[in-house]
Amino acid sequence: MRAQRMRRTPLSVILGLLFLSMAATSKCLGKYHELLLQLQRQADLMQDTSTLLDPYIRIQGLDTPGLKEHCRECPGAFPSEDALRGLSRQGFLRTLNATLGLVLHRLTALYQDLPEAQQLVGLNIRGFRSNIHCMTLLLRSSSEAETPEPTQPGPGPTPPPTPPSDAFQHKLKSCRFLRGYHCFMHSVGQVLREWGESRSRSRSRRHSPRRAPGDTAPSGPCRGGARRMWPFRRDRRLMPRGHLPR
Amino acid sequence: MALFAVFQTTFLLALLPLRTYKSEVLSEPLPLTPESLKVSVNSTRQRLHLQWTVHSLAYHQELKMVFQIQISRFKTSNVIWVENYRTTVKRNRVLHWSWESKLPLECAAHFIRMRSMVDDARIPKPGFWSNWSSWEEADAQNSLGHDPLFVFPKDKLVEEGSNVTICYVSRIHQDNISCYLEGVQIYGERLDRSVSAFELKNVSFIRKKGTNVFCKVDQGGALGGIVLFVSKVLEEPKDFSCETQDLKTLTCTWDPGSDTGLSKQPSQSYTLFESFSGKKTLCKHRNWCNWQVAQDSQETYNFTLVAENYLRKRSVSILFNLTQRVHPMTPYNLFPKNVRATNATMTWKVHSIGNNSTLLCRLELLAEGKVIQQHNVSIKVNGEYLLSELEPDTEYVARVRCAYTNHFWKWSELISQKFNTAEAAPSEAPDVWRNMKMVSGHPTVSLFWKPLSKVHANGKILFYNVIVENLDKPSRLEVLSIPAPARSTELTLDQCSYQIHVTAHNNVGPSPASVIVISGDPGNEEVESGRVNGTEDGFSVSWKPQSGDATGYVVEWCDGPQDLPCVLQWKNLGPNTTSTVISSGAFRPGVRYNFRIYEISAKRMAHLLEKKAGYLEELAPSDNPQVVMSNLTSHSFTLSWKDYSTESQPGFIQGYHVYLKPKAGEQCPPAFEKTVLPEDSVCCKHTIDNPEQKTFVVENLQPESIYEFFVTPYTSVGEGPLDAFTKITTPDEYSHILIRIILPMIFCVLIVMIICYLKRQWLKEKCYPDIPDPYKSSVLSLIKSKENPHLTIMNVNDCVPDAIEVINKPEGSKIQFLGTRKSLTETEFTKPACIYLLPTEKNYSGPGPCICFENFTYNQAASDFASCGHFPVTPQAPPHQLGPLTSPENLLKALEQNYMNSLGEIPAGEANLNYVSQLASPTSGDKDSLPTNPPEPALCSEYKMQMAIPLGLASAPPSENSSLSSATLLGQGEHYR
Repeated sequence: MRAQRMRRTPLSVILGLLFLSMAATSKCLGKYHELLLQLQRQADLMQDTSTLLDPYIRIQGLDTPGLKEHCRECPGAFPSEDALRGLSRQGFLRTLNATLGLVLHRLTALYQDLPEAQQLVGLNIRGFRSNIHCMTLLLRSSSEAETPEPTQPGPGPTPPPTPPSDAFQHKLKSCRFLRGYHCFMHSVGQVLREWGESRSRSRSRRHSPRRAPGDTAPSGPCRGGARRMWPFRRDRRLMPRGHLPR
Repeated sequence: MALFAVFQTTFLLALLPLRTYKSEVLSEPLPLTPESLKVSVNSTRQRLHLQWTVHSLAYHQELKMVFQIQISRFKTSNVIWVENYRTTVKRNRVLHWSWESKLPLECAAHFIRMRSMVDDARIPKPGFWSNWSSWEEADAQNSLGHDPLFVFPKDKLVEEGSNVTICYVSRIHQDNISCYLEGVQIYGERLDRSVSAFELKNVSFIRKKGTNVFCKVDQGGALGGIVLFVSKVLEEPKDFSCETQDLKTLTCTWDPGSDTGLSKQPSQSYTLFESFSGKKTLCKHRNWCNWQVAQDSQETYNFTLVAENYLRKRSVSILFNLTQRVHPMTPYNLFPKNVRATNATMTWKVHSIGNNSTLLCRLELLAEGKVIQQHNVSIKVNGEYLLSELEPDTEYVARVRCAYTNHFWKWSELISQKFNTAEAAPSEAPDVWRNMKMVSGHPTVSLFWKPLSKVHANGKILFYNVIVENLDKPSRLEVLSIPAPARSTELTLDQCSYQIHVTAHNNVGPSPASVIVISGDPGNEEVESGRVNGTEDGFSVSWKPQSGDATGYVVEWCDGPQDLPCVLQWKNLGPNTTSTVISSGAFRPGVRYNFRIYEISAKRMAHLLEKKAGYLEELAPSDNPQVVMSNLTSHSFTLSWKDYSTESQPGFIQGYHVYLKPKAGEQCPPAFEKTVLPEDSVCCKHTIDNPEQKTFVVENLQPESIYEFFVTPYTSVGEGPLDAFTKITTPDEYSHILIRIILPMIFCVLIVMIICYLKRQWLKEKCYPDIPDPYKSSVLSLIKSKENPHLTIMNVNDCVPDAIEVINKPEGSKIQFLGTRKSLTETEFTKPACIYLLPTEKNYSGPGPCICFENFTYNQAASDFASCGHFPVTPQAPPHQLGPLTSPENLLKALEQNYMNSLGEIPAGEANLNYVSQLASPTSGDKDSLPTNPPEPALCSEYKMQMAIPLGLASAPPSENSSLSSATLLGQGEHYR
């Protein structure tokens, strides 16, 4: 496990720097599939608990019986997979971008707890957001003729300002937050994978609300547990044919 | 007077209030009860804060009072703390007091009350307590939320080793709640219906993120917990010291010890405070801090270093004079200059300290890692020193460090520089030795020399010059240049004496010459050999000087075993030396080393003085000789092992042991003694104590006895390995006589046989000449010429026998006769005198008189022939086939092929005179081939039939008689059908 993590770390650094540099140069990939593939891979990378959650649990001493169970809860602070699947592509990307902005903000507060991992994940998130930006531009250019989509509300309830909690509560909350983050990225990866599948199955079909059978996506960090459905609009749109890559 | 009256009045007026007060105190209790008592809870520090006032005091009045404070927990009657607090009280002044609770305040309601008493020396009489104030309650539980479980104290910061009490407050039934410290369950004390407390003793540091303590409801899933931040104990800084490199900046360093930083508490901070100047600075680093030296020429400094965290402060001080803490910077630009073979100049620079300060620099010279020279040089900025007494072509390391001259505090760091001195001519002649031998009648000298040591080579040796000078007759010098690293050369000389000079050369020049004189006649330098003992240090060789003019001695030996190529070694010794110890790492135990001691004369010629041989350590022989046994007699035999070399053994052979195993129960022969072998067998042993005696005669043995023998050498350490015994058997006493008779007889027989073989043709002609072939007889031609066509060879079938010769012989003789196939003629001739008559009755069975008949139609000549060439002749066989039929194989073949036809089938035209010599035995042959009623001759009879039949009768069918005759003929073994 540790060796696996050691292997993943340099890879994630390279990917993060790569995406960051892409964002900095403001050069977007013009090919839909390549961009989608990048997003999928980034989502797979970011759902990996060994990058953030596992070191946090270890450092904080939460890896003891009795505490582990309370850290495994997916707190519902993030949109569920079903909710994400119910969004239009533009809405999905906006939600994703906004949620990751909040995650980035929250991670800054965790800097003291996980200085190295936080920096690394921060780079990944910035790179991912850069690609979201590019994908948004790509989709927008292909749907200029369509009616602009109403602005969606924020990606779920922003964590309300809570009274200063004690260190124990802070540990548990942060742990749950990180778990939720990884779960969220797992869901994002699933939805992105369905984008590719739906595109390959039929150009005119919308992406399926259910996971395709035989999905070989990596198993996610969330194990069961009811996830709250967010009241996102279920307006699904057809991807304009002429603008999407074939 | 009036003034005095005014003063008195004023004094009395002033005393009045005091008297009034005194009267009140003494008469009734003063109303100095604490008022406005307020209690607050500080959860962070787990302290109860009390504040109150005393309103009853007079204006500006100050009184020392004591307040007795009572604290109860859970209920007012449960007093857990009583303390008297003394303080000076003023009117309307708010008083404060705080108390730290061991039990977290959130876990229990606390009740506080107090009372007071004047405790002022100005009041002569003892005071009394005021009434108690009313109970004030401090209940932090009121601020808790609605969670089912709370654990306290939150985020408490303690030092390692402290005792901490934690507690929980539950809103549910307590029995289902378990608490854990880092996953390990802890057990506490139940204080109330909903409160339990746990005392953690001597808590230890686990991690910077704090120690997790949590309680949970076993089934409900509710969880409450705290993080206990356990800090390491702040240590006092160690090794605190300050120094300056330039008198401008002081650098103070220390060992900070453990880091006490936690999530709850930053790492300890360090502050440097100087007492004379009153300045202080907060250090940015954990273990060092810079301090700018004041420009006001402050010389003495008193620094205090304060380490501090949330829980503790530690400090350490140091007082010093600035000029006594100068640690100069590392010198730089250290270079060699003017490097020669034996000297070099080193130059370097230093950083200046202040104005015109002098530095003491130490220059060290190292060779092979060791300091060989050390020099102190006082300089201001530039340093220079001439290093002398250096060795040519040697690598040196020069290094420099400096210290402040005014007051030594520390050496600076070292700076090093390598350099090599220049080469010089070799300083010593090479050590030369020679080995002489005769090759093809010419004296050949092998010259050996040892490479010069580095000390004497003074550079890389490039080649060796060998100059050969004839001492007997003037001739041109012969110069040989041998490139290094050769260590030997070979010279072929004549019978003259030669002086040889050997010099070693490097880039600079030659070494002094090594001179050796060689006589053309090596002579027979036969000297006695001695032995030398080896020790752990080597071989201690000593000798006796022969002449008084020896200029030295040389001991020569070979490092390896004798059977290896000799690596010649030698050792030069002075003229007054008569012994030396030869040591070498190549010496091995069990190897014989031969030493030769030479005396070097004034003419530099070497004469063999002595020979020594020795072993570093003798070993037992590793193998036994190959013993040859000879001269075996019935009473003795001889053993010899002349091929056994005593020189190549792992020790000096002192003799041999001859072991002999006689047959069981037999005594040892004389000169043998009984001994027990390692395998516990008893045998006889004879010791030969002369190593050169390599034969031994074992005598006094018993004839026709088995003996086993075995020969092994022995050294001072022991004898050789116990090998297998060789077994011999002594012959009997007469066997040799028999051998003397039988052998010549056998020899004679062999000679006779050889002669017979060589003369076999002659013998054949004499003993059994060939039977003449009638077809080839000249008689036939003679008959034909007389034109008598009926004349032919007589066929036996056509003949009626007219005479039968019956010979009565014992049956055994007949069988043997048939088996050996002796010729009938032979048999016939051997029984000439016995003639019996043949009985006519068929039932005749007993022996009777024999009658011999003779047919005289056959002449004697034919009979003679038949005696040596006796074999059947086929009627159809051409005459040329007769020859091959002499062999049995051809005979059988001919029988199978040709005799299958009856005799009656012979063509008349081809028939000729046949002659058959017949032998018949009535007991032999196949009975089936016989006629139905054959005549039964007597068992002891044999008959001979000789016939001559005219050719015209050949086609006639055979009669009964002829058939009988034919069957009789086939009785020899061949049957014709």
